[in-house]
Amino acid sequence: MRRIDDILNTVRMFEEENLDVRTVTMGINIDECSCENIERTSLSVYKKILSCARDLVSVCNNLTTKYGIPIINKRLAISPASRLLEGRNEADAIHLAHALDRAAADVHVDLIGGFTALVHKGMTDGEALLIRSLPNVLAKTQRLCSSINVGTTKAGMNVDAIRIVSDTILEIAQATKDKNGFGCAKLVVFTNIPEDNPFMAGAFLGAGEASCVINVGVSGPGVVKRAVERLIKDSPDVTLDEIAEEIKHTAFRVTRTGELIGREVATKLGVQFGVLDLSLAPTPKVGDSVGEIYQAMGIEKIGAPGTTAAVALLNDAVKKGGIFASSSVGGLSGAFLPVMEDHALAEAVKNGSLTLEKLEAMTAVCSVGLDMFLLPGDVDASTLCGIIMDEAAIGIANNKTTAVRVIPVPGKKEGEYVDFGGLFGAGTVTNVVSPDGSKAFTQRGGHIPAPINSLKN
Amino acid sequence: MKRHVISVLAPDRVGIVKSITTAITNLGGNIDGMSQTVVHGYFTIILTATFNKTLIQDEIREAILAQFDENDASVIVRPFEESLETRCHEEHERYILTITGKDRPGILKTLTTYLYESNINIEDYYFTIQGEHVTHIGEITIPRELDIKQLQGELQTLLSSIDLIATLQHENIFRATSEIYSIRQLLKGKS
Repeated sequence: MRRIDDILNTVRMFEEENLDVRTVTMGINIDECSCENIERTSLSVYKKILSCARDLVSVCNNLTTKYGIPIINKRLAISPASRLLEGRNEADAIHLAHALDRAAADVHVDLIGGFTALVHKGMTDGEALLIRSLPNVLAKTQRLCSSINVGTTKAGMNVDAIRIVSDTILEIAQATKDKNGFGCAKLVVFTNIPEDNPFMAGAFLGAGEASCVINVGVSGPGVVKRAVERLIKDSPDVTLDEIAEEIKHTAFRVTRTGELIGREVATKLGVQFGVLDLSLAPTPKVGDSVGEIYQAMGIEKIGAPGTTAAVALLNDAVKKGGIFASSSVGGLSGAFLPVMEDHALAEAVKNGSLTLEKLEAMTAVCSVGLDMFLLPGDVDASTLCGIIMDEAAIGIANNKTTAVRVIPVPGKKEGEYVDFGGLFGAGTVTNVVSPDGSKAFTQRGGHIPAPINSLKN
Repeated sequence: MKRHVISVLAPDRVGIVKSITTAITNLGGNIDGMSQTVVHGYFTIILTATFNKTLIQDEIREAILAQFDENDASVIVRPFEESLETRCHEEHERYILTITGKDRPGILKTLTTYLYESNINIEDYYFTIQGEHVTHIGEITIPRELDIKQLQGELQTLLSSIDLIATLQHENIFRATSEIYSIRQLLKGKS
């Protein structure tokens, strides 16, 4: 006989606390699809995706019924599309992008990632072409997402690439100005990009992965928040180490649900199970917020001194719970800080307690980086370049993944409100403290060498 | 070697299990299956035991009753039917049914009638009452050929008509969140 409390706790996680499997992402290697012309290449890619992912959505839906767990998104992540663009032109890049978008629509997934270029050390012609095509591609496709890796701890930082990407972000914003620059929400600029991350917009299939693999992303900030609230209600004087312990135990339970789903999806589709990524990924819904967890811990104003420590506590406890739950933990695994997608973070930015600079400090101890942050439409490329370089520096120096997904909103100024709708959420345009203050530095370009790995103080 | 199934019902007190197991062991029995609970002060146990000699059922029953005051316990002893244990469970899957809401007469009759008509077996069932609020938890085995989505819909419709909320989920999700076995072992059916 099971313990009644265990059963009711599990039911409560799904019914009341918004626990869900945020995404089941199928990774597909499309390297074999390169043909002599783009028409045949695109057709080959389309057929490969359909042959691998035709049953993905129906299998996921059946498991939702069986276990009573919502699987919110079913997605695809391909090997870097830039490899199919060597020796091609911009029209070819757009042709391929449309084929990917159509394939995603025809297997009924909501997003497909992997329009990706890995340029941390240098840039091939195909990678340069991919980046150049992004304004057109992201404006003309619905489901396609892109990521660019501009630095690694081993290779250092490709500042020349960051300068190009900064210009490109502004062009994407202009190309999608009728949607408040929404195209930028489909591009993530990474450092130390993970090869098995199932979350969008940054998912792609890395070189070391199997040809077809299932990676699962589980969320559950609501479950963690309620666990912290219950603990504090029962013991008002609870210490931070006891909070960390409670989060760890909760993360264990959440992680296990993800692995259960991932392994069953993989078995039913006859493909390899890859990783389980437990990342506290919020949605704009109240009760599904990472910011609310910090508030439950006692951070009344998110961004106040102590917030970075709260992020570190949460991120570490989530990882520890996940690691004990499963030997297949990978991806990003930790706490996300996507400002627009989290109503508590968005509110903190709106009321001024959370600035971009404080957020940057928080990203040094969270699992990703500056995410879904709205900037004024007139932000200049050198400021964007500086933002990306700072975030990349944090990732490179700390041997962790960092990322930048910022949206310059054409025609909007600091303080104005923008709503993308759905999971992408809403927020307030905010500026950096000192725009235009580092132009001479960022314009030097070049390459920041890899950091020393001894004398670590 | 002879296997029996034994059931005992008695007012609860400290030492009942010790009394029953002592009686069985003294008869040369080895207990190989057991479930016991207490409901509102009444103790009940069901167990299976294999004896190293042939015994008639009354010998076992009398030995157990001797451990209790007169008329204090009811004991049933029956020969174990092997065919029941080997009945094929591969044709069934185990689900957990939870029902919550305000208590009222007839919940169990309504539910069990539906389960019976759907050929669904109840293997374990318990509920708790706090004030007017009741929580039922049933461990049930569902024939594989039944459509789970349809069952979920019908149960929700049936029970919402008497202001109750029902959920039906495969047992593995509860094992995954409450046990520490690896998920791979769990999916292979190990425990």
